[in-house]
Amino acid sequence: MTDDVRTRILRAAVTCVGRYGLSKTSLEDVAREADVGRATVYRYFEGGRDELLAETISFEVTTFFRRLALEVDDTPDFPTRMEKGLLFAHRAVLEHEVLQKVLDTEPERLLPHLTTAGPLILLALAAYLEPLLLDVDLREGLTPVAAADWLARLVLSFIIGQGRWDLGDPDEVHRLVNDHLLVGVLAPA
Amino acid sequence: MTGDDTGLAIDPTRGGGSIAGLSAPSSTSTSLLDAPVPAGGELDDRILAAALTLITRWGLGKTTLADVAREAGCSRATLYRVFPGGKQELFLALGRAELASYFASLVTCIERAATLEDALTDVVVEATRGLTGHEALQFVLEREPDIVLPFLGFHQVDRLYDAASAALGPALERFLPDTAGWAAEWVARAVLSYAFNPSPVIDLCTEADARDLVRRFYLPALQPQPALAARP
Repeated sequence: MTDDVRTRILRAAVTCVGRYGLSKTSLEDVAREADVGRATVYRYFEGGRDELLAETISFEVTTFFRRLALEVDDTPDFPTRMEKGLLFAHRAVLEHEVLQKVLDTEPERLLPHLTTAGPLILLALAAYLEPLLLDVDLREGLTPVAAADWLARLVLSFIIGQGRWDLGDPDEVHRLVNDHLLVGVLAPA
Repeated sequence: MTGDDTGLAIDPTRGGGSIAGLSAPSSTSTSLLDAPVPAGGELDDRILAAALTLITRWGLGKTTLADVAREAGCSRATLYRVFPGGKQELFLALGRAELASYFASLVTCIERAATLEDALTDVVVEATRGLTGHEALQFVLEREPDIVLPFLGFHQVDRLYDAASAALGPALERFLPDTAGWAAEWVARAVLSYAFNPSPVIDLCTEADARDLVRRFYLPALQPQPALAARP
């Protein structure tokens, strides 16, 4: 599959950020990595370097949640989907080398972007969860919209930090999801 | 993209180094939660109060030690004697002191409560009001996110949950002998989520919304009611 030019530039930018960091990646680096001219990068990102880097972060966040959705696509029921999603997301964050490098060396450049993106990420997660919740028995008085918002908040919270739970351990994730997070959401069996 | 409009000088050659005289924390370096709790003497308190006033007015980047000394009515030499590490040490000590007094107010909420529902509801309300109503914190979050967010994001947030569990857990054990620490962490998650991503329909500064959240999502998990059928 060949990427369109914009995607190719964004992928190249992710590679460059991994190599040089957010502060030192230049537009020229990205153009070279993507094998396009500077003018082409400017055509797609008129705001120049700052716009390119902001778009690169959004692109990578979107890619992350697309992969997450794909990963949990084939699950028998809602609780299993939650478990699989948390396990995958936790591992994917730890294994994301570019993210980890930037968090270690220049969190001050990344976190403001992620914080600004927070409400949009939350909306996207809730929009993903809501139709799934139409098919399950919710506790009395709980609407799919409210349940989706709450679960989206929890998922995002656990992706950012696992706290006292070991999200690398499937048994712990099973307990967390079934004995805590979903107890107030799903109608008792 | 890095808040240059606030007048902060960020040295592009230094990666994650010093911003406005403050080092960003990393997973291995010092953090807000490592800073020593200030001794709390009258002079310390006066200096910290002065720093808080100035940060609320000007932010972290523009507040100098000379400003703090003047506002506190002491000399720069005295200020350095109390905080030999300078601006970094002073600001970390201030953050630690603010966090300690924040947690103390939440412990009071729990101790006053008659039931778990009241305790969690009051903590959610007080914690949300304390966070969203903290003028200095809101000022720096708004204008200097690059300085303050590294103390809250990813690697750091787990330590914040640890601190919340350690501070609030003992008071909650009265209601939850086995799961008090987890309950504190879970509440902290909701408070942070709603503070950073406000909901158009749920306002955790209001008792009714906080109580609804606690009743709906927390109590059934933390205090499961035995099924009627299971009773003899």
